[in-house]
Amino acid sequence: MPRKKKRVKKIHKEAKWPRVTSFEERDEVLSFWEERFGIPKEAFEGYLLLSTSKNYWLFVELPDIKPLQGLKVQTVGLLFTRRVSHWLKPTSTALQRFGHLAQKNIIDLSPAELDRLRRERKIPFSAEVEEGYVILRCEGKVWGCGLYVKKSLISFLP
Amino acid sequence: MLKLSEAPAYFERYRDIIPDFERFLEHLKEPLPLYFRLNELKCPDPEIVLKGLARQGVKAELVSGLPRFYRVEPRDFPLGSTEEYYLGYIYPMTTSSALPVIALEPRPGEYILDLCAAPGSKTTQMAQASQDKAVIVANDRRLDRLTALVANLKRLGVASVATTLYRGETFPFGIPFDKVLVDAPCSGEGRYRQGYEGELLYQKEGHTNLPAIQKGLLVRAFDLVKVGGIVVYSTCTFNPEENELVVDYLLRKRQAEILLCEYPLPCHPGITEWEGKILHPGLANARRFYPHETQSVGFFVAKIKRLM
Ligand SMILES: C[S@@+](CC[C@H](N)C(=O)[O-])C[C@H]1O[C@@H](n2cnc3c(N)ncnc32)[C@H](O)[C@@H]1O
Repeated sequence: MPRKKKRVKKIHKEAKWPRVTSFEERDEVLSFWEERFGIPKEAFEGYLLLSTSKNYWLFVELPDIKPLQGLKVQTVGLLFTRRVSHWLKPTSTALQRFGHLAQKNIIDLSPAELDRLRRERKIPFSAEVEEGYVILRCEGKVWGCGLYVKKSLISFLP
Repeated sequence: MLKLSEAPAYFERYRDIIPDFERFLEHLKEPLPLYFRLNELKCPDPEIVLKGLARQGVKAELVSGLPRFYRVEPRDFPLGSTEEYYLGYIYPMTTSSALPVIALEPRPGEYILDLCAAPGSKTTQMAQASQDKAVIVANDRRLDRLTALVANLKRLGVASVATTLYRGETFPFGIPFDKVLVDAPCSGEGRYRQGYEGELLYQKEGHTNLPAIQKGLLVRAFDLVKVGGIVVYSTCTFNPEENELVVDYLLRKRQAEILLCEYPLPCHPGITEWEGKILHPGLANARRFYPHETQSVGFFVAKIKRLM
């Protein structure tokens, strides 16, 4: 059962426009998704990658972003990837949306395992995947992001 | 608070415009059916949702003519506490509420403004209709309601939306919008029925001059859309003063035309005369929807083209 908890991030009155990432930066982020999960870069064609200090956001590609930048925005697009120290970490939100395109580093949990992981946040686990961020899936539904290291599974589900 | 027993007197002034008035009054005693919209952005395979809900004892049947809308039994099932809801596979929403976006016809690449957007049932419907590839600005003047909208965008996995917190009447110029939706704050008469008594905004906020607010929002929307662009004006009320008279005001102030539009639910032309006042004949192209004919909420929709 999903837990009811307010987890909406506070919207700030003076929110600023995120910056558009350079080609290299976009390529770095999309390469991570490709290498880690086998989701081809083309899956994100038509989307622009924006960035605030530690976060990357997916937004629609548009001929000219200038006119929109005149708006005082509260939020723009979908929180896609975070920079955690020098690692890139996919958000559960983005995995829920694009995870069905993944080819690898997916962990299939039984409903009981998923339940336990959500309650305990960390469980002993053994899986045939590379260590690092994984996609948590249960009965065909992608729930989000986990971390698999040293035979344990850590939940990053909200 | 309007009690069900007082409804006949309240709605009496619409006797001549609401078709089959007695059946309308009878219908108000029935509860509103439950519907949801499937979010294919996150759930490409409807079977996953339908099977999941079936296991919880829920029957969901596709609504004919409205792709991705399902009618749910039992009608009091708490959809909001299901896994399918939590993961953003479904959005509970009544069928007539889908009509304004059907009129808007959002397409990939378009610039679209949703001027009164929270909590986002129509914003997310637009994002789906344009495959998450239109540039959508979703605005609302209330921060608490905008927060709910942002949560829905996240839940549904929508990327194509930027949110703003302006008073609609002062939304800034400078973006060449192809389309603007004004799903205006209204008295909500169309929602009124058993189990929903007392939610009429008129009664709640006796002094709010809704038609004045609605006119301000509609004129601004018109001035924000580019020449040749489309403004859709909608409410969930029967009151002509909040519907035809608001659009009539725009038609007198600006160069605009009301376009005909096909809808998948039974409907009636907008009225062209109210309490002795003759309105713009083009209003016959607007559409009225009634709960006893749609098994949903009463709605008014006008699809307006900016001519100059
Ligand atoms: C009918 S509701 C919109 C429902 C929404 N379109 C949906 O489909 O989920 C009207 C909204 O208008 C907002 N509102 C009221 N006055 C406004 C104004 N002057 N400018 C912008 N938004 C306003 C209210 O906060 C409310 O959220």
